[in-house]
Amino acid sequence: MKRELVYMDAKSSKFWNIELADNTHTVTYGRIGTEGQTLTKTFPDPAAAQKDMEKLIREKLGKGYVDAAAAGVGPMKASADPDGPIPLIAFSSINRRDDISQNAGTFIGKRVVDYDPEKPARADVVYRFRSDWDNNEVIPNLEQFLGTDAAAETAALIIGAWHGDDPELTPEGIIEVLVKSRDRLPMLAAIYIGDITSEENEMSWIKQCDLSPLLKAFPKLQLLRSRGGDGLKLASPEHVNLRGLALETGGMDVSVIRSVCTSNFPNLEYLELWLGTDEYGANHSIADLQPILSGRLFPRLKYLGLRNCQFADELAGVVVNSPLLSRIETLDLSLGVLTDEGARSLLMLPLNTTLKKLNLHYNYFTADMVRQLKALPLTVDASKPSNMDEGDEWRFVAVGE
Amino acid sequence: MVLSPEEAGEAIRSGRLRGPVEVPGRLDLSNFTGDHLPAGLHCYELDATGSHLSRLPVDLRIDGRLVLDNARRLASLPEGLTAGSISLRNCPMLRALPERINTWFLDMTGCSQFETWPKDGTIHHGSLILRGCVGVCSLPAWIGRLSQLDVAGCVQLREIPESISVTSWVDIGGAGVTCLPSRLAGASLRWRGVRVNERIAFHPEQLTAAEALAEKNAEVRRVMIERMGYLRFAREAKAKILDEDKDRGGARQLLSIDLREDEPLVGLSCHCPSTGRQYLLRVPPTMKTCHQAAAWVAGFDDSSLYRPHIET
Repeated sequence: MKRELVYMDAKSSKFWNIELADNTHTVTYGRIGTEGQTLTKTFPDPAAAQKDMEKLIREKLGKGYVDAAAAGVGPMKASADPDGPIPLIAFSSINRRDDISQNAGTFIGKRVVDYDPEKPARADVVYRFRSDWDNNEVIPNLEQFLGTDAAAETAALIIGAWHGDDPELTPEGIIEVLVKSRDRLPMLAAIYIGDITSEENEMSWIKQCDLSPLLKAFPKLQLLRSRGGDGLKLASPEHVNLRGLALETGGMDVSVIRSVCTSNFPNLEYLELWLGTDEYGANHSIADLQPILSGRLFPRLKYLGLRNCQFADELAGVVVNSPLLSRIETLDLSLGVLTDEGARSLLMLPLNTTLKKLNLHYNYFTADMVRQLKALPLTVDASKPSNMDEGDEWRFVAVGE
Repeated sequence: MVLSPEEAGEAIRSGRLRGPVEVPGRLDLSNFTGDHLPAGLHCYELDATGSHLSRLPVDLRIDGRLVLDNARRLASLPEGLTAGSISLRNCPMLRALPERINTWFLDMTGCSQFETWPKDGTIHHGSLILRGCVGVCSLPAWIGRLSQLDVAGCVQLREIPESISVTSWVDIGGAGVTCLPSRLAGASLRWRGVRVNERIAFHPEQLTAAEALAEKNAEVRRVMIERMGYLRFAREAKAKILDEDKDRGGARQLLSIDLREDEPLVGLSCHCPSTGRQYLLRVPPTMKTCHQAAAWVAGFDDSSLYRPHIET
């Protein structure tokens, strides 16, 4: 008996395989792309070995690991087909609240490296281009990289803090360079505009711009991820091949939601919206999300994340009635103000649907409610950050500022 | 023809628009002074807050939000009206909803004349807000599973049909509803936005002053006192007597009860000179005498100016 699991987030991209043989089991684990380490354990009898194996698998699934085959992650040690679809699990980035305080370590399952103009460019990593307060070389470095052979093979790019010493600077100039050099990036499948920690620039201070020129310029794009809500726009929300859209904000403007709802993304499988709070620009209400929840958009959707939401309880009450539940596999309401009231709604989720996973990380649940949620026949993440502030006076979304 | 929201708005306001027209965004017609809209309009959202519209075209198509708040002249809606959400707050002329209305979110807060439901329609998945719809006597059986049902202030509504279920909460503050159907048993309850339990909502006679005084949450405590009635609460809580005198109805008392983390509850207890019924009028906690309190109730800040010829 054998089981192969994988895990991906902003920090790491890992595999964990277990194989049962008589009264032993062997675990192989490590970073995807490496051989990993092997550990064999012997038990008094085969039943004990199997019992322990099942316990370990449950633990891993609870931590967010998924079956490699189901996730579309091919042979663990070989790199994926460069032109093929990115595994859906590799679209996720911030799984835990605390991930936001670190730059991405991986992106679409590949290792992230800060671009160094002194070193030869490689195609097997994802480069991040970013500025410091006293040095803004994002555009020159990007232009240098675009002139290398590695650019022609690169699958993904990350733009980190771009503002240098000018807090008003948007990534518009960077997007212009990318659009102008689109022929230099024929394989580009994923872009992250705004891998910026709160130390570099608070979520609500990041100045974004219209990202839709990227959609037009890169027809092979599968994933567009961005961080920052101020100025964020998707003026022409149209792309035949886009599979993932992730917009992280501390407060999402209703016009962005409207763009998503009037978009033409027929192949979208992954939609992650960080809705935020009115203190940082959120001016929408649950009715603005109705076109998404109605199920008439995105026929191929598998993952729906409505995260960092100040009205997560209200959202939970409506989501449980959504026809999307007969189609999606993961529902993610994490990082928001989710209390026992919202949890009670989630206990009314229709069962025997396609839904497999419920991500409720960062929440205000009582211990009893966590127990009730865990009893659902789904993989439920009801974890909290270690320093969750649960004073009963005030409740906040995970990422405001 | 596809027009931007700005172009379409301008064309409609100047009366130049001839349909059919598609508007792939939010058409802002707030405070529009026309009586009706052109035929053949299809927009993602329509905001006609404060407009003078009295009706909508029968072929109007809305994908997302339809907002008609404070449309003071709105008298009817077209059959089959469909939108992701429909907001009709404070539309005083609206008496009926149209046949086959279809939406997830319906907000009719303050539609005081609304009384007639269609024979058939679809309102489900989201919220149905009927706050202050004082003309509503019943809810139709075709309403299915909602997230929220708010019938606060629906004084004529006596019962909620068995067919309705909610996934979030029911607000029955001040409504005529005295119990919930079995499908709603155990649903979260609210009283004008305040979370309450079944005893507070439906069995106020069981509440005691000691229980109300022990309640930590000031909002819940206020609802408990309101449900008990000020007079019973004041009696049971052994209110301090700040002042006593007599008026035509008999003995009057100015009573005060200390509440934690809230201002003291001060009220004037008096008897109606006509019916003899005793009641308690809440007054500001700064009141010192019965006369001053009675003057405040009558609208006098300076109580020395309050010299009623007769109090009835």
